This record gives sequence, C-alpha cells and structure tokens, in this order.
Amino acid sequence: MSELDIRSNRKWPMPKQAVPGAPLLEVEDLSVRFAMRNGSVKAVDGVSFRLNDGEALGIAGESGCGKTTTALSLVRLLPANGRIRSGSVKLFGIDLVPKTEKQLARYRWREISMVFQGAMNALNPVQRVGDQIAEPIEVRLGASRAASQKRAAELLDLVGIPKQRAMAYPHQLSGGMRQRAMIAMALACDPAIVIGDEPTTALDVMVQAQILQLLEQLRRDLGLSLILITHDLSVIAETCDRVMVMYAGRVAEEGPARRVFTAPRHPYTRKLLLAFPNIHADRRTLDVIPGQPPDLRNPPPGCRFAPRCAEAMDVCREVVPPEVRFADGVRVACHLFPVSDAVAGEVPA
Amino acid sequence: MSAATTDPAGVNGPAGPAPVVIHRQRFRGLRESLGRFSTRTDGLVGLGILLVFAVLAIAPALFVGPLETVVTATGGVLEPPSMAHVFGTDEMGRDMLNLTVHGARISMIIGLLATVITVAVGALVGIVAGYSGGRLDNALMRVTDFFLVLPTFVLAIILAPILLDIIGPEAELFGIRATLLVIVLVIGLTSWATTARVIRSQVLSIKERMFVDRARVIGSGSGRIMRVHILPNVVNLIIAQAVLTFAFAVFVETTLAFIGLGDPFAPSWGQVLNAAQSAGAPGLGAWWYIVPPAACVVLVVLAFTLLGNALDDILNPKSGSRR
Repeated sequence: MSELDIRSNRKWPMPKQAVPGAPLLEVEDLSVRFAMRNGSVKAVDGVSFRLNDGEALGIAGESGCGKTTTALSLVRLLPANGRIRSGSVKLFGIDLVPKTEKQLARYRWREISMVFQGAMNALNPVQRVGDQIAEPIEVRLGASRAASQKRAAELLDLVGIPKQRAMAYPHQLSGGMRQRAMIAMALACDPAIVIGDEPTTALDVMVQAQILQLLEQLRRDLGLSLILITHDLSVIAETCDRVMVMYAGRVAEEGPARRVFTAPRHPYTRKLLLAFPNIHADRRTLDVIPGQPPDLRNPPPGCRFAPRCAEAMDVCREVVPPEVRFADGVRVACHLFPVSDAVAGEVPA
Repeated sequence: MSAATTDPAGVNGPAGPAPVVIHRQRFRGLRESLGRFSTRTDGLVGLGILLVFAVLAIAPALFVGPLETVVTATGGVLEPPSMAHVFGTDEMGRDMLNLTVHGARISMIIGLLATVITVAVGALVGIVAGYSGGRLDNALMRVTDFFLVLPTFVLAIILAPILLDIIGPEAELFGIRATLLVIVLVIGLTSWATTARVIRSQVLSIKERMFVDRARVIGSGSGRIMRVHILPNVVNLIIAQAVLTFAFAVFVETTLAFIGLGDPFAPSWGQVLNAAQSAGAPGLGAWWYIVPPAACVVLVVLAFTLLGNALDDILNPKSGSRR
C-alpha cells in the first residue's frame, strides 16, 4: 500500500491538528533524563528519526542503550523519574511533547500502541484474555461491552487464535499465544503505529518466526507502521525496512536495513554485526566488543563509543561526532566520516 | 457442552465451527466455577454448616419456640440432658437448646456485620492507599496505624457506654439492638486496620506489574484500574481476611459478653458462656451449660474457614487444574 492509500484507508479520521503532508512520525533531537539520587542519567541524548506510513523501523543496540526509553517516551510511558528534557515527537506534524497527559490520551493506543516485552507480565493473570483485549475498545472507543467482546473475538481470529480461547486465562495459553493476544490488544483501536518492545524475546525460535511472520503480514494487510525494538539483529534483518543502531543513548547509524547490514560504516555497527553468527562466513568464534557501555550519569565527552573503539582517534575523545548523511540514505555519527564525504555521496561497496 | 441439544437434528448442518456466543460462554464460566465448587467436599461441608446456622438464626422460634426467660422457663435448675431437655437446662431452668439456637442469631449477625465493615473499609483503604501512593497513602496509613494500635477491649469499654448514652440502649436499627451495634462498631473499628495493611502491601507489588502500566496506556482511569485490575488480584487476600475477621469477631463478641459488656437481653453464645461462668457451671460439672454454645462458635468458625479455602481455590483461576 502506498502512503496515500494507508491514510485514506484509516478507520478513524486524521487528528484535527494534523499537518497535511507531514510524515507519520518525526522525532527530532529527543533527550530523556532519569533523575537519580546521585545525578541524572542521560538515557537518550539527541535522537532523531523518522517513520513513514507502512514502514518498519528496527531499533537495535545492547541493553541499556536507550532503545526502550526512546520508544516509551513516544507515548510518554516513562518511569516516574524519567522526563523528556528536549526535542519533539511529531505525529502527523503534531508535537506530542508539550501535550498534557489528558491531551496525549487521545493519541495513545488509537494512533500509537504497544506490544509489551514479556506477555505474561503485561496480561492480568486473573482476567480472561478476551476481556483484556476488549478493554481498550471499551475504554478508548466507548464501545458497548457486547460490541467490544465481539471485536475482541475478531481480533483473536486475526492473530490466529481460535475465538473460543477468549475465555481462557493468560496462564492457560502458551507463550506464543500470549504474545499473539498482546498483538491483538495492540491492534484493538486500529492504530497507525505499533511499537514492539522485544516482542519475540523469551520465545523459542519457531514461535519467534511465527510471530514475526504475523507482524509482517499484519503490517502489509492493515497498513501499519512498526517500530521494532530488539537486540536480535536477525529479527530486524527479517522484518524491517530501516534500522537504527543506538549506542549509549545516541544514534550510531541509521539507514535502510539492507545497506546497514551489508555495508556497515560505524565501527560499533561493524562490531555488532561481527558479534553475530553468520552462516556464510567460516568463523568458529564470534567477535566480542571489549569493555562495557559508559556510565550514562557521566558519559565520555566526545564519541561515546570511543573508549571501546579500535579505530578511535584523538578527536573522538573530545568532539561529539556530527551526523553525516550519505547518498544511499544512511546516516552515521562517526569521525571516520568527515562531513565532506556526505556531500560527495561516496558509497562504499 | 450440549451442542447437540441446542441444534436438534442438525438443522444448521453438522459441519463448520460452532457459532461463538460470548454471553453463553460467560455463563459457562460461571457454571464451570459452580461445577468446580460442587466437587469440593470441604466447601460443601462448610456451606452446609453455615446454611444450618443461617436457618436457625433467621427463624429460631420455628424450631425451639420463643426465647425462654426466667418466667417462662420449663425445667429445673441445672438439669443434665434428658429427653425433655436435650441439652439440659441452666441455673434458672431455661432450656439450653432454646438458648443456643436463639444465640445463633446474635452471634451470626455480629460476626457478619463486623466482617463486612472490616473487609469493606480495609480493602478500600488498602487498595486506594497502595495504588495512589504519595501523600494520600501516607495520610491513610497514619490513620490506619492509629487504629492498628487501638486496643479492642479498652475501646469497647469506653465506647460502649458513651455510644449507648448517645443513641439510647433501647434504640434499634434494622431490628438490631444498639448494644449489639456498638459491639459491631468496636470490632470493625479495631480490625479494619490489619486488613488495610495486608491488602496495601499486596497492592504495592501488584501495581508495579506491567499489566497495570498497560492498562494505564490503554486509557483506563485509576478507578477502573483499581476495580478491574487490582481488586481481582487481591480477592484471595480479602477472603482470607474475611474468614479470619469473622472468627475474630465471634470471639471478640464472646469475650465482650463474657466480661459483661454484652447485651443481657440478647443471648449470644458469649452471653450464655458468661452466664455459665457466673453460675459456676464448670465447678458444678455442668458441662452441658458450656459445650453447646462453645461448640457452636467452633463449628461456625470452622465452616467459614472451609468455605473460605474452597472459594479461594475456585476464584483464583491459577490454582487447581481446570477440567
């Protein structure tokens, strides 16, 4: 489906304040801080990205690099001590950051919904699955109980669970079915964007493949846009159009998944890909990245990856690398690529 | 399931998935729970005992005639059980069976009312304090702490005469004498705090679970979250507290009556035990004066415990295997 089709096929009218022609989601210079007893943690620092209609964006990076925080701050579901310090999150050109909780509620779930990490924890253990899926329909859309139950049954059908299982309690479903139920819940209000926070973690490989296939199929059929947060690069390679590699709260490299995976530019991306098993290469051992991510209460002044980077230069330890955009759509924040390269549009093989 | 009976002779055709009617399934869930309950011997025994006492409490006169007084007493002084008086008589010649059966009403009413007050207030305060946190939690917990350290009996001794003076000892509310209401009030006042504390601590852990966050993003308000997501998760605690409170309430009522703070015109089991003690029944070997009311207290508390256990298992979808 093209962008125009997706917008004209929407179940709900566009938000009134929507700017015509604005991209679906545009995040600019987003910074999130967590207030701690001994200082504040800059969990996300100047992250920008863009998501088009029907596109799937994968956010990759190791634990604690700010991928989940970035996604949670889109719907402002941060822990109590987390605050968006600066930047903008524009949905259809509407900036969500200055909105109050009440104003934001209109966009939550109806425009941006989530598939939470760990379905068992995100489901109420003593409520029937059907009732839980019906909850957003009842609460958000004000549908009657019977109507929302009916819709919940349809949604279960859509994600491949027999309707009769609506009566089951979460513990009576398998891990894969629970995850499917979470996806059904995310789709309840026909959102434009679904954020998947590690949707396949803790599932075995077969089920993982099924869930990814389901997401892919739903994206095609319903014209969804996906933001997939994962540390499993194979998941992104399989499902995403674009990939954003984050390190210590900043974007290291972002671009079309195909380009980034075949020709990684940032040393961190390269290391990350080398740390991943590759059936085509004859390697017995995997590369490891020495050291640990920096303490985000007190990050290194220059490039945050510099202390662990084999190619670090003096400038890396002092100056924050600017983002450089290449002709193939990839942008990289690394001093190995001076700004002049971008203009030349040099594309490595 | 009776798919065949709802579709006589296969009018809709034998093939194809059965149409799903959510409402019918809803009742199926209820039926399932009832079915599970019917397999629980302990629950049925508890329910049976309580039903017997409930019937006795509702219409005691139907079984043993009106409450006997000194004037209408039918037997001799402290007669042991005989055909005429199955449970014997007390020191004034009143039939013990008559007294015990009439005592059921008072003891059950006090136990139930005190339990309802305690559990309702305790659960409400516990859930609201635990879920809201912050200042409201602090304020509610300081109040709770105050009631937590109030000694039941001291409060009862002070409150009973004051309240009686205010509302008058002859006043009645829904046919319950004021003295009894004071006892209910005192038990409720002194025991809701424990329930509130226990439930709050559980709510503190439940509200950190992800499904509560999820409900919040979905758009459920605090009220709905507390009602739909928190309350069902603490129901087992509430039932356990209710059982404990009922036992406690019956004991407290018995004790209050025993030390003379009961209502002399309302023969609760505690009141009868008090009379037995002051008549010197233990010394005289008049066991029939003590055993019937005491056995009733034990039976009712036991029945509540059995029923509570069974309900806990059935209402908690996780415990026990379904089907």
